Amino acid sequence: MEQQRIIRGELIDEATLTLEDLARACSVEIDWVIERIESGLLADGSPYVASWRFTSHDLTRARRLCQLERDFEAAPELAALATDLIEENQRLRDRLRAAGMA
Amino acid sequence: MEFKDYYQVLGVTKTATAEEIKKAYRKLARKFHPDVSKEPEAEQRMQEVNEAKAVLSDPEKRLAYDQLAQQYRSGQDFQPPPDWDAGFEFSGRGFEEADLGEFSDFFANLFGQGGRAGRGGQAGRGGRGYQMRGEDRHAKINIDLADAFHGAARAITLQVPQLDAQGRVFSREHTLSVQIPKGVKEGQHIRLLGQGSPGVGGGPAGDLYLEIHFTPDSRYRVEGRDVYQTVPVTPWEAALGASIETPTPSGAVKLKVPAGSQTGRRLRLKGRGIPGPESGDLYVELEVVLPPADTDKARELYKTMAHELAFDPRQRRGG
Repeated sequence: MEQQRIIRGELIDEATLTLEDLARACSVEIDWVIERIESGLLADGSPYVASWRFTSHDLTRARRLCQLERDFEAAPELAALATDLIEENQRLRDRLRAAGMA
Repeated sequence: MEFKDYYQVLGVTKTATAEEIKKAYRKLARKFHPDVSKEPEAEQRMQEVNEAKAVLSDPEKRLAYDQLAQQYRSGQDFQPPPDWDAGFEFSGRGFEEADLGEFSDFFANLFGQGGRAGRGGQAGRGGRGYQMRGEDRHAKINIDLADAFHGAARAITLQVPQLDAQGRVFSREHTLSVQIPKGVKEGQHIRLLGQGSPGVGGGPAGDLYLEIHFTPDSRYRVEGRDVYQTVPVTPWEAALGASIETPTPSGAVKLKVPAGSQTGRRLRLKGRGIPGPESGDLYVELEVVLPPADTDKARELYKTMAHELAFDPRQRRGG
């Protein structure tokens, strides 16, 4: 029987992950992340990009981009477009749910 | 362990060309993609499809798999024969260690580095003196909304790929007790250092990222840090105003219902949403519930109102 101890994790809030953390969490090279940031496909508009820090949302987006590029051999721009639409869809669903309409 | 028919998984024949395999994969990837699919067990099906594609789209692996598959049917009990892959050269392309954590035991036994390196195959990353940090892993967990308000300890069980004495991969259940921090939001991640895949050659373990989701609760709806709930009130509380007690995720509160309220009126309790650097708000939506006219007394009261009150809600709407 494995002994249970309570593990305290780190909440990935604003500006938590480094560039290396983000690349490792997505199983991609650092250059993959840099290219997508420089192309405006990832962390676009985030106030933390200048300091190369990333949020939970950036992690979710980077993993989604990576999966779409891999699964469909999609161009990064196309994967980003699909990701934008998925995120928009989720935002609208969240609003509908909050309004008690879903 | 059951034998997996990867051709059946992708719905292609054993003579399918690389292009046909790619086409079948893309079709299924679209169908079962976790972000869009409404199919039951989409995530598991996507994993099977990825696994089948990983083998069948690699000519070396496909050739070795085809030879093995001649002796087995889908679902048949299976153990890889010793040196089943003797005579085949694997370049090692196409499989990342992250895949081994996500793919089945069947896949990991055939193509995992433990499955081959332990039998004298190309040791690759497992070679002497080679050290590598373990891969980061990801899991989704559901928590109650109340956990985000108060924090909580939650047990989660994960399947962890490990090597046995013969160097074969098997999955082991690993239960962790995790402290859910107060103030966590839907979709946010908790990073557990060193709880990911074990390292290679004494390298450090990777991290485990837990993505937080709230268990659906019919009483509450959540958007970001804001929480919405509907509170039923009586017609006289709504009409005359009242002070009522209502449960909220952070505990019962006294709520002042303004006189003249109608169904749908929304009251904001500032800062009573999910706590955080900028705590969310709690929105209480009033729902006026009529008492049933199921007794003589109740029917009499309704009749009195009908006679005494000059009230036509359709006239107010212009209908």
